[in-house]
Amino acid sequence: MTFPRLLKMLVIRNIREDKFFAVLSVIGIALGTGLFTGVKVASDRAISSFESEIHGISPVATYEIYDSAGTDFDERVYPTIRRISPDSLPVIRTFGFLPAWKDAIDIHGIYSLKAARFLRRGMTGAGTGRGALFSALDWESFYRTENGVFVPKELCDRYLLKKGDTMEAFVYDRAVTLTISDMLPAGTLPGTTVLMDIGNFQDAFRKTGLLTRIDLAVDEGTAGEIRAILPPHLAIAKKEELIENRKGLVTSFRYNLQFVSLIAILVGVFLLYNTVFMTVVKRRTEIGILRALGMERKTVIFLFTAQGLLLGLVGSLIGIAFGQLAAYFSVIAVEKTVSTLYSTIAISDYLLSGRDVLMSLALGTCISLIASLVPAYEASTIRPHETSREGSFEGRYRPYERALACAGIASIVIGISLAYLDYRYAPFSFPLLAYIGILFMIGGFTLVSPFTLVLMLKLLKRPAERFFRSSATLSAGDLRGNAYRFSVALMSVATSSALIFSLLIVIFSLRGSLQSWIDRNITADIYIKPASCKANYCFAPMSEDIVRAVESIPEVEAVDRFRGLHLDLFGKKVVAGFFDTGVKRTFLQRRHRDREYETVLREMENGEPVVGISEFLAIRHGLKKNETIEIQSPAGPVPFRIIDISSSYSTTSGYLAFHRRWLKTLWGLDDTTQMSAYVKAGADVGDVIAGLKARLLPSYALEIMNNRELRGKILDIFNKSFAITYAIELISIAVSLTGVISTLLSLVIERKREIGILRYLGTDWGQIRRTFVLSAGCIGITGIMLGTVLGLLMSLILIHVVNTISFGWEIQFRIPFLFLAVLSGLVFLTTVLAGSLPATIAKKIDPKRFISFE
Amino acid sequence: MIRLERVEKYYGSHRVLRGIDLRIERGEFLAIMGSSGSGKSTLLNLIGGMDRPEKGNVFVDGDNIAAYSDDQLTLYRRKRVGFIFQFFNLLPNITVFENIALPLLLRDSTDTSRVKMFIERMGLRGKDDAYPYQLSGGEQQRVAIARAFVHDPDIILADEPTGSLDSETGMMIMDTIRQVVRETKKTVILVTHEPYIAEYAERIARIKDGVILP
Repeated sequence: MTFPRLLKMLVIRNIREDKFFAVLSVIGIALGTGLFTGVKVASDRAISSFESEIHGISPVATYEIYDSAGTDFDERVYPTIRRISPDSLPVIRTFGFLPAWKDAIDIHGIYSLKAARFLRRGMTGAGTGRGALFSALDWESFYRTENGVFVPKELCDRYLLKKGDTMEAFVYDRAVTLTISDMLPAGTLPGTTVLMDIGNFQDAFRKTGLLTRIDLAVDEGTAGEIRAILPPHLAIAKKEELIENRKGLVTSFRYNLQFVSLIAILVGVFLLYNTVFMTVVKRRTEIGILRALGMERKTVIFLFTAQGLLLGLVGSLIGIAFGQLAAYFSVIAVEKTVSTLYSTIAISDYLLSGRDVLMSLALGTCISLIASLVPAYEASTIRPHETSREGSFEGRYRPYERALACAGIASIVIGISLAYLDYRYAPFSFPLLAYIGILFMIGGFTLVSPFTLVLMLKLLKRPAERFFRSSATLSAGDLRGNAYRFSVALMSVATSSALIFSLLIVIFSLRGSLQSWIDRNITADIYIKPASCKANYCFAPMSEDIVRAVESIPEVEAVDRFRGLHLDLFGKKVVAGFFDTGVKRTFLQRRHRDREYETVLREMENGEPVVGISEFLAIRHGLKKNETIEIQSPAGPVPFRIIDISSSYSTTSGYLAFHRRWLKTLWGLDDTTQMSAYVKAGADVGDVIAGLKARLLPSYALEIMNNRELRGKILDIFNKSFAITYAIELISIAVSLTGVISTLLSLVIERKREIGILRYLGTDWGQIRRTFVLSAGCIGITGIMLGTVLGLLMSLILIHVVNTISFGWEIQFRIPFLFLAVLSGLVFLTTVLAGSLPATIAKKIDPKRFISFE
Repeated sequence: MIRLERVEKYYGSHRVLRGIDLRIERGEFLAIMGSSGSGKSTLLNLIGGMDRPEKGNVFVDGDNIAAYSDDQLTLYRRKRVGFIFQFFNLLPNITVFENIALPLLLRDSTDTSRVKMFIERMGLRGKDDAYPYQLSGGEQQRVAIARAFVHDPDIILADEPTGSLDSETGMMIMDTIRQVVRETKKTVILVTHEPYIAEYAERIARIKDGVILP
């Protein structure tokens, strides 16, 4: 029973006494874990969304047949498949966009009777509810109502819809009104899946005779049998493999976000470390006495670890609530980014599961353990005689400053080496070594920080004393005497500065490179695509009437018809774009002068099978110019020579650029998924767009934009994609400033007697305030300095290693000097302001209470 | 000259000083003796400008410091008072040299010759760059004495300056204080429990229950 008593006496009482610091630590941990959980939930839900999309409504399906070009295919193949496997379900599906709520829905056209039978097979687990639902729904309305759909209860609840209501949706290139025939019970299907009868679907959306896929519940042998009879453009693949393939697309995105939020957690760790360390310093007398009375070292370690764990646990619990909030916003951001860069997804579930809650708790507890173990160990090494000599506890770390600095430099070198290894050899599919390298570097900078602070003091003390006299001497004394603990606050500032600087450099560099990409690619006057398509590339063809209407406008000089396809390359799905290179080349110089690109376009026109590829593919597969890649087409494999390798910021799954002729020759297609138009010189683009809208929008749901609008939209999407990053930055700044305030406040509380002495000696409040502000300023300057170096190193790794491995994006390294200078100034100012708060609290101290004459 | 007139001080409803009248001449060495809770600390706080009385006046060279504002009291302490405490009260994070120089620094003085002089005089040569926790108790108190005298104040207030030291070191410290006081002709007010320490003073005042005994 001794331990609980000691816990109550030393830990609980201490938390009660220092509520403010306890609250700060709890907030730090809550923000860190909450953010991490939120980001994890968002990316998990994105993956679940992929899984739902691939599994569709049939959890028993093990394989699916699809067109390898990503297009819908002729349903006449189905009777043959059905003969081999009766357990099969033909599906046609597309994404729809609900303009009223700016939300996406996943519309499945199903062969209802077949689906009911298919689903009843193997009714266990997830399928059980789905079988039952088929008997309870209003099938009559489903079949009889024009555009009748079954809508999940979750969607109805979200937008206050009920049976019989209608909702307007953009589907393919048209606006349609869907009528809710019935509600699907909650939990039976993903919250955004809308069911429609396959006949109705094909009829309503002009897809007669087409299927998107055929789901199969077959074994490997039967799958092989089916594979043998499929036409060349159709493929059969295991559902699990397709899911894994899709997961791979968001893996980098997920790890990057989680890594950034991990750094926010690190800042929280510094804060908790600081609080426990402060308790150790404050309680050193009691610890010394207890040690002198025979308390074991391990008991001391347990006591202070318990304090950290207790605060961490409370922080994690609050972090769960914050994580739920973060998850909601992260889901919105992830949905937007994934939909733009990868493929449309609709995520309706953003609630934390029991597993997420447990993960959040485990994370908070683990980081609390890490944060409190070091100060707890330090507490256990307190020697009784240190308690009677003020300054001796802090002083004992001085001899190790150089050793710590050397270890820090070694850690930084190891970090850089690991990142370099990843740069050269990239042994994993995501930049694991680079991430570990960054963590090593942060650890290294942490170890170097006390030495750097002392070095800075040597440099700054004399000039500061010239301006601030006694305040500078006192501040320097405080910082020197407590260099070890001030380093923790310093590293909070340094880490968050590094995070801000590195991400700012990455964003600035990426934005610059993106601008160059826009200049090269966005050269037309008008852009048209189906309103239902929210991604950069669309894959559902537009009506030919639209193309004809645009071509018939007298002011339009040329039209570039673009066709997007999904192609298999080295076993992975990549985006292929087919466009009229002649039109592109002719009008390129109107807005952008790029002779090299003109030559590439001219070469594409020659008739030779040539292709341009994105850097992603070049990096991932080690491809070089003039090498040949084999493209699978319905006409068989065709070798294409690579004539151009360029950045493609519009997708992260790899991009192939073809002359449009190959679309017809090899795929037998001549349709258009999005298009651009060039107007004649002197014609007013605004008038042409107004005319187009007046003519097309009554019949079609299209997005028609001019060049400026599209450029603006791309940059807007770019900015929104980084919304999470900005949020993480803000949170890490808040946590780091909390660290500075808590360190300085701890000084005020611990130094009440010293402040009293100073007051006795005639120090005025202005001088005391200046002392604290100078200390904060010095921490700020040193932190920003270390943060700048760390940030630069991190940005180099993020740009040249992480980005290259994750996204295949080559980005030109650019430093936004002015931005960084302004931001450094702001961080410095806020740190200085953080120093004013403890100074204000110091003023409330009555010196007589701490300097007794008795 | 310090003159207290009918000084009364309350802490809440408790009257700590009950109409104190006391006169201390310039250059006088006065010892105040009294039991714990008799009001010695409060009296020193009032003379040192750390507090104000509820009633009465505290004149220092004709000026009533009881009527001073906080800023005036801060300046008064900075320029005219030197404190020596029982527990030394040195700042742990600055060196011996900086601790002694502190009162000068607070007055924006850059002249360190007096600091060096007191280091020599207090036998602290070679300890300039040491930190307080690296010194013995006697050495720490010598640093405190040097700090009290370095800015040439008119009044030295010493609170049990030997209370934390063994008797031998305590005597040495008192010898040092007496020697410096004689040379500098400062007014010294010393609080002590020990009669043999009080013997160092020219005059002894006894305080009991907030009243100076006749």
